[in-house]
Amino acid sequence: MEELFASLVKDFVDETVPIAQEVGGLLLKLEALVGAGGDAKPVLRTIRGGLHTIKGNSAMMGLVPIEQVAHALEDLCGHVDKGPGFARVVQVLFEGCDLLGVLIQAALAGKAESGRADAFVARARQAMDEAVVEGRSSQALVAPVDTSPRGEPPLLVQGAAAEGDDGRGVARIADRDVDELLELAGETIVGQTELGRLHGRLARGRFEASDVALMDQVLTDLGRTAREMRHKLLRVRLAPIGVLFRRFGRFLRDLARERGQAIELCIEGGDTAVDRAIISRLYEPLVHIVRNAVAHGIESVAERAAKGKPAKAQILLSARMREGRVNVCVADDGRGLDLHAIAAKAKAQGMDPSALSERDVQRLIFQSGFSTAPAVSNLAGRGVGLDVVASVVQGLGGTIDVRGASGRGTVFVLDLPVTVSLQKALIFGVDSETFAIPAGFILDTLESRERNMQAINRVLLFSWRGDFVRAVDAGRLLGCQGLAQAWARPYAIVLQAGNKRGALLVDWLSGVQEIVVKPLDESLASCRMVAGATVLAQGRVVPILDCVEVVRRANVALLPELSEAAKVEASFDVF
Amino acid sequence: MSSDENRPDRAMATRKDLPDQAEPLLAFADALLSSGERDIGRAAGEVQQYVTFFLREDEIGIPILQCREIVRAPAITRVPEAPDHVRGVVNLRGRILPAVDTRKCLGYESAPPTARSRLLVVDVAGRSFALLVDRIARILKLAAADIAPPPVNAKVRSALGVASEGEKTIYITDAETILMPKLASEIATSRSEEA
Repeated sequence: MEELFASLVKDFVDETVPIAQEVGGLLLKLEALVGAGGDAKPVLRTIRGGLHTIKGNSAMMGLVPIEQVAHALEDLCGHVDKGPGFARVVQVLFEGCDLLGVLIQAALAGKAESGRADAFVARARQAMDEAVVEGRSSQALVAPVDTSPRGEPPLLVQGAAAEGDDGRGVARIADRDVDELLELAGETIVGQTELGRLHGRLARGRFEASDVALMDQVLTDLGRTAREMRHKLLRVRLAPIGVLFRRFGRFLRDLARERGQAIELCIEGGDTAVDRAIISRLYEPLVHIVRNAVAHGIESVAERAAKGKPAKAQILLSARMREGRVNVCVADDGRGLDLHAIAAKAKAQGMDPSALSERDVQRLIFQSGFSTAPAVSNLAGRGVGLDVVASVVQGLGGTIDVRGASGRGTVFVLDLPVTVSLQKALIFGVDSETFAIPAGFILDTLESRERNMQAINRVLLFSWRGDFVRAVDAGRLLGCQGLAQAWARPYAIVLQAGNKRGALLVDWLSGVQEIVVKPLDESLASCRMVAGATVLAQGRVVPILDCVEVVRRANVALLPELSEAAKVEASFDVF
Repeated sequence: MSSDENRPDRAMATRKDLPDQAEPLLAFADALLSSGERDIGRAAGEVQQYVTFFLREDEIGIPILQCREIVRAPAITRVPEAPDHVRGVVNLRGRILPAVDTRKCLGYESAPPTARSRLLVVDVAGRSFALLVDRIARILKLAAADIAPPPVNAKVRSALGVASEGEKTIYITDAETILMPKLASEIATSRSEEA
């Protein structure tokens, strides 16, 4: 009995959390609309619809505190008006909405938290009374009736699946899609039966000429069915990126309040569909970039006024499809990147920024220990951040870039794949083994005659575009059984992970191709250099390298101690 | 609620009803529980089927219910820095499974696969493993009464019992017991890394 109840509560939570989140987002929209003097009625109606659903669901589950809070919020919506009391009422609505989130999670843990609910209900009452006393409820935007249940669920919850994507997230899938997938699975069985029949004929030596054409047809059909199946299943993994973007509405609102700034969030391309795994792993990096934009980019209200900029700053989150990939932009209209400060910092770290182009100086901010904020605040200045952001983005198979225009703003551009399960990778071989390496990390591939490799103090390196890159023999690094030495490898793959470079010396390269990334079992978690595996032609399994780790190792790898004779020979080879 | 609740197989059965967060803890508890002695049959008369296989000249059986399938050993792909007991990974209809060196797990010297080698695909703690064995022997029906407790110095490490057939000895164990010491050390490593 208890188990049944627990599973019902879990269903309730799965269903209700997205609604509560949606209501939170709509409150922001409401606030913006009223601030701009627009028509807030439709939004308010949707908010009330959502609250009504939460109220009904929680009442059915006997979750009284949630029901009470939702009820109070619903009532409070009837007292939203355009008068000066608006800000106060909306603030209470925000608080209540947060509390709903807390209570829903508490319900999952089996806690009621009725004390907090009671306190809030009292507060909501007070806010309503004040509104009534001020006599402004006559201007109420929506008459406090309209609680009739509707046939349609009021809020769109599609794609708003569980957030932490550790492979246990829940995807919502329409019955119709399941039916289609089942139909396709049926198709493959039909194809298999047909092939079986043909095989039987072939085995008995009664194969007819027309069977070749038939087999051809079956194989074509099977191929098409499999591709369609994959395509449909992939769609299940996708969700609109707006789900992620809208989380920043509240984040920015609170951040702006705290700092006495006015910031407006603009969202563009929120319906762009992206793998949920990417969406959930993108939140942290975006938080970092947005925080940076507020801390470094956006000026105080006074400064903006002095520069003749609008008092309300803007932050844009946009997503756009480009050549089969998603480009996510985070832009602000603040002061732009301070190139002098970055260059000064570079100098302090022993670099020579004068040799770099303006773009390259800007890109220095992705290096570790490169914060230019003069003081450490809770927002910035800890010198960690953008380098971590860059490696997370790379880990997703993407790249990150930044452009700033002094005084006009900064734009971060993240170029990401639509799905992490499909990646472009270079296949290479060393000794008798084959490996895959994600293309996003590869800077260059070289033949041996194009590199002038040297060994200095057991460190192997060669110059590449005016820089020295440390090289490591892939066979040795990956523990292959061959006897070949670094010098004998005909190819080098130059990699960049974060701000580090390194080169792998390998035996052969084959072209870049799309691979399906499959995770490895936890029993292989100790294999730090391997990020997953893929299956190539003939079902051969090939490990996919984790470039961050490979590059790290390449930068600490030393050549084996050589015997005197070998030393002479090696130096002869090199110089 | 009987004391039966505490038995690992019972814990396995209820696993899917529990929240996900309980998973690591349960795996850990299972590992602890199965490290102690366990009796095999539920009742003396109950007959169970076992898949038996050879490692060198020793015949070893595990309950057939734990085996999902038996496949000819395909090419095993080595994974750099894999732990000793994992020979690599194999492709089972698009799923990548770790190929476990069963010889290593049970204290034998490891050996490369031959034409007679097979992979015994088993499910343990919600994960699938392919156990590499020298060859598959047969399906054996045994009543609990046929299985004696293992001698103190049993030749096969982690044997839970032995069955005799004339001169021959068949060592009885199960997939969890073969894998658990390894899984438990995995949990220990991941914990120490988190700390």
